[in-house]
Amino acid sequence: MNMKLMIEQGQVWLYNRIVQMKHSVQIYPHPSWIICTKMWLFLGMTFSLGILIPGKLSLNLQYDGDQVLHIVPETFQQVQHLQHLCSTSMLDLWKPQLPEDIQAGEDLHIRVPAPLVQEVKDSLDQHMISYKVLIHDVQELVDESMPKQRSHRQIPEGYNYTEYHPMEEIYKWMTQIQESNSELVTQHHLGKTIENRTIYYLQISQPSNKPKKIIWMDCGIHAREWISPAFCQWFVKEILQNYKSDAMIRRFLQNLDLYILPVLNVDGYIYSWEAERLWRKNRSPYMNGTCYGTDLNRNFNSSWGSVGVSYNCTSEIFCGSGPESEPETRAVAQFIEKKKTDILCYLTIHSYGQYILTPYGSTTTPPSNNEELMHVAQKAAAALMGKHGTSYKVGSTSSILYSNSGSSRDWAHMIGIPFSYTFELRDNGTHAFTLPSDQIQPTCEETMLAVTTIIDYVDQKYFPGGAVMLTSGSLSLSLCLSVVFTWIAS
Amino acid sequence: MKRSKGSATHRHRALPVLLLLLSAQLPRPAVAEQPPWAPGVERALDPSSRLAVGAARVALHNYNFHAASPSGLRALGQVRKATVKSIPGVGQKCYLQFTTEDYRSRENAGSCLATVLYPKKKSPPAVNIKCINTKDQKQIQEEDNRLYQKLKRQTKPITGSNIPDSFGNIEPALEPVWALAVAGSSYMMWEKSTEKVGYFMTQVKSVKQWMRKDDSLEFDYVILLHEMPTQEMISCHMRLIWLPGHPLKVKYTCDSENHRLEDGSGMESGSAAGIIREREENF
Repeated sequence: MNMKLMIEQGQVWLYNRIVQMKHSVQIYPHPSWIICTKMWLFLGMTFSLGILIPGKLSLNLQYDGDQVLHIVPETFQQVQHLQHLCSTSMLDLWKPQLPEDIQAGEDLHIRVPAPLVQEVKDSLDQHMISYKVLIHDVQELVDESMPKQRSHRQIPEGYNYTEYHPMEEIYKWMTQIQESNSELVTQHHLGKTIENRTIYYLQISQPSNKPKKIIWMDCGIHAREWISPAFCQWFVKEILQNYKSDAMIRRFLQNLDLYILPVLNVDGYIYSWEAERLWRKNRSPYMNGTCYGTDLNRNFNSSWGSVGVSYNCTSEIFCGSGPESEPETRAVAQFIEKKKTDILCYLTIHSYGQYILTPYGSTTTPPSNNEELMHVAQKAAAALMGKHGTSYKVGSTSSILYSNSGSSRDWAHMIGIPFSYTFELRDNGTHAFTLPSDQIQPTCEETMLAVTTIIDYVDQKYFPGGAVMLTSGSLSLSLCLSVVFTWIAS
Repeated sequence: MKRSKGSATHRHRALPVLLLLLSAQLPRPAVAEQPPWAPGVERALDPSSRLAVGAARVALHNYNFHAASPSGLRALGQVRKATVKSIPGVGQKCYLQFTTEDYRSRENAGSCLATVLYPKKKSPPAVNIKCINTKDQKQIQEEDNRLYQKLKRQTKPITGSNIPDSFGNIEPALEPVWALAVAGSSYMMWEKSTEKVGYFMTQVKSVKQWMRKDDSLEFDYVILLHEMPTQEMISCHMRLIWLPGHPLKVKYTCDSENHRLEDGSGMESGSAAGIIREREENF
């Protein structure tokens, strides 16, 4: 996935350069130039592939995201198309053995490498060939059949990350996590809720004398979105379990501190457990206690009160009596404001809908770094999809979801945090807010990939260099050369 | 493959050429929804835009209601292509191509072509939809019949509440009742949807069966619909009659919610309490 998108970027840059060059010189390249470039390109291609491929293989993820499709071709045209597909692409025919043996009315099983999955599916759709996904992730099956290694057990024994926990248990969990991982984790007081409960965040920080930058992630700003706090807990667990063995996590922890807020809207979350499962807002009393709750994600100081809100307390999108009128909002905003020069990434986790949303909701004017934000979000969505086939939509809130002002993500970007995203996790409406607990694990696994993709990108961007010698200079050079070669060669 | 690989036949060049072709699929620039275009002109829509996705959902509500099949419910996969045309004096018409998934299993269920006309005057969107089936239709009918028989065999009226429960669980015995609720709710959601407002069925708050002397099954539901973008939970009372192979009969009233969005867009309230919408004459 990374490879494809990186080459994509390199090709756009190079194409533009070649066009520029052609227009300024007004003559076609001299034949000898072509030959020389072909040679350089071939070398460059081998070189760049040489850099990129061993890295991937050494992580032992040869089938990660690969899918096996089950197709029963109905017509001769479909058979022909499938034979063509198998012969010309890197598809692994499992049944039958040879493309020549594909027949109408007979089962076809093909393994599609992860980078080709979407394209192959599109092609099948276009030719009206129906298919079923037999295996969503071949690597998963491979892993399941391998003997399990003893994982680094520094998590509270017996805490079940695949079920939903009430607030009392989450408070206990935070304390335990800090106690059993004290070299890495500290629990901090962020502020108090309107009902005077404490809001805590966890700081994951590798001891070092290097100054670090910050990644912030908050969950549970909306009470009913239970999968969100479940993900924050899962995320912390994964980091703590794998920070010694996983190269990517190890790398970014050298440069970045992770600040995780498992439940922002504590009062609302408790209320959704004890009183009203589908409660959304906080529990702020208005109108002499006849009406409760501000939508915390309409309460931030980002074009507050301008669009996609209600001024009526009875509404689910009531924006409060003013920007940051709510103590929960203030607790987050004051902290982030204080640390903003060090925060590179602001992530806020919601459900449902399966989106990775970029700024803004309050306006359709794109943010200054829109292209990069979109590019990284698409990378993240691709990584996510590779795990269980779940498809996420990527785009700005205002264009693909709805207009809304006062969101925390808009505010974070407006005060200067470059990589600000809202995640809307599973599902797409079937279970909506009441996602069954048997989906907690797959949801968290796939979301983990998306979030670490973003953190990894931020890490590589602001702390270039390191184990794999991919400086931006050498990478773009080898990409340029490889693309020019292929372009001229074809 | 979408793009033919005419010249790329040499094995040793297959990989770089393949990578080039993969890389040649540059991200398409987003087509922004522009302010009023020339009427009658069909313009492209970004398939991920809320107009396109919303319209696809409306088309599927219509499909799910007319299919009247608890085993054949579909959810939206991806919108592949979308265009919109403004018809002066009539409304906006969207033309869509999208994939669908099985409502429960998320398995690919085939693609659909649909048109959705949002009328200027307040009335339900007009939908035309045709879908390909990946599942065997006979198989779906048999599943429906099996569900029907299971429910018919009950001697006592079926009742239930909070389906799914707070933890997303649905009791296996009540699954068919929930699936029927989705099919019936699709009628309500289709009627109530506009370009700006969409719905998802979130929960069956309560269900009670009315025993009938004829072969049909009849249920009384209280349904919670999640309304977007207001985020409201709309409570609706729905009466549903089902006989496999026959159109679904639905009567409903929804609680009146009158929240205005503070952007002048003027949210319409849900069906005012007291109005009963009937689908069939002899209910």
